Amino acid sequence: MSLTTRFLGLTLQSPVFVASGPASHDVNQIRLAEEQKAGAVVLKTACSDKYEHMRSWPRPRYKLLDWDKQIAGRSKSFSLYSYEQGYSGTLEDYWEFIRVCKKHATIPIIGSIFADDARDWQEMAKQVEQCGADAVELDISSPHRPGSVAFETTFVAAIKIVVKSVKIPVLVKLGPGHEVVQQCLVAEEFGASAVSLCNRMRGFDVDIESQRPILHGYYAGIGGPWAKHYTLRHVAEAAQEIKIPISGTGGVMSGEDVIKYVLLGASTVQILSVIMVNGWDSISRINAEIEEYLTRKGLNSLEQIRGKALEAMTSPEDIIRWSGEPKAGARNDWKKRGME
Amino acid sequence: MGNEQTKYPGLPPLPPPFVKEFPPIAVVVEEKCIACDRCPPLCFFDAIIMENRPEHKYKRTAVVVPENCTGCGLCFEACPVDAFLWTPDKTAGSGPLRAAQETDKDMDV
Repeated sequence: MSLTTRFLGLTLQSPVFVASGPASHDVNQIRLAEEQKAGAVVLKTACSDKYEHMRSWPRPRYKLLDWDKQIAGRSKSFSLYSYEQGYSGTLEDYWEFIRVCKKHATIPIIGSIFADDARDWQEMAKQVEQCGADAVELDISSPHRPGSVAFETTFVAAIKIVVKSVKIPVLVKLGPGHEVVQQCLVAEEFGASAVSLCNRMRGFDVDIESQRPILHGYYAGIGGPWAKHYTLRHVAEAAQEIKIPISGTGGVMSGEDVIKYVLLGASTVQILSVIMVNGWDSISRINAEIEEYLTRKGLNSLEQIRGKALEAMTSPEDIIRWSGEPKAGARNDWKKRGME
Repeated sequence: MGNEQTKYPGLPPLPPPFVKEFPPIAVVVEEKCIACDRCPPLCFFDAIIMENRPEHKYKRTAVVVPENCTGCGLCFEACPVDAFLWTPDKTAGSGPLRAAQETDKDMDV
């Protein structure tokens, strides 16, 4: 029995990745991820020079909503409300960061970039490749991205040009929403190696005492354990339509959650909030929980159950139904109650 | 209402009033700290360390390393006794950056 996972030609010690964000902005964190036996790390997203302002961060940047400190990370309903921004250094700093990560890490390192102009995407992706990254993730769906860029124009062009310009695998990170399967199909058609589903949603909250939006008066990224339910759905939808692998991400707190993603067709799973609230050893705990499940089920690897739950999916027409009578149907008793 | 409903309010819902002038950084109210060790591992910027304080009730306290603090607010949520406060980082050189000054309305949806 082993957690070894094949993904995009890479051999990983675990299907569990550290997702792009505050747990992947510094070389020391790569060491921590490696010690905890993460499969790979997606580095924090670097923004093109045009979005230089996204290298500066609002303070505070995070608030935990519905967070009960007494049960802390065992809670299954909190939200991490965030104004996460891009990598804080220049692009030169980021290239050097990738080089140093690659020099010290034994686990795969995936660069993550954001731009709007196709030439910027191309140039940045090439640099990520030259610096030795094992793959590049195109972060086209951050909840903090500028609104002036749209999937149909900017991002389709980005996928096309990046795929043509680099030899390393290209992951496309998509946001949740009704259009996600269509976007997966587009990404696959233009040669993406994999999709990451899904980025965080954009959400909002208000402080009723001051009658103002909380923190900085603008929408924030929201995620948390509850977020897995819409992403699981999107992974299931996508897995039935595309052939390229899926890296599931959203709301993963335990090995159980990883197994759910895999049962719906994901090859790897990216985690982050759980590291933020429960610490770095969440990675090894999740690995151990997956191993325990594999042992209990007599399985050698997750590959044996990838997509298995999809086989049991049905269509609305085939759902077994029973009459809503007696209370709601033809025998409703309004007549007896004199309500004609 | 609001914060009074819960025993531990955590991070205040709004940034501190001085945020327009100085970047906020976290600071530990040492008398409140119970030396529970929850905040140092949570900080992604190695900005919280535990220091010995022989005179302290718990002999130790959490301390924020100001130059590492990015003012993210996570430590407020980690602290079971609300021992964190905001303080202005008056050593920061330039004023705040605003997206609107640099690009036109890029932050709009």
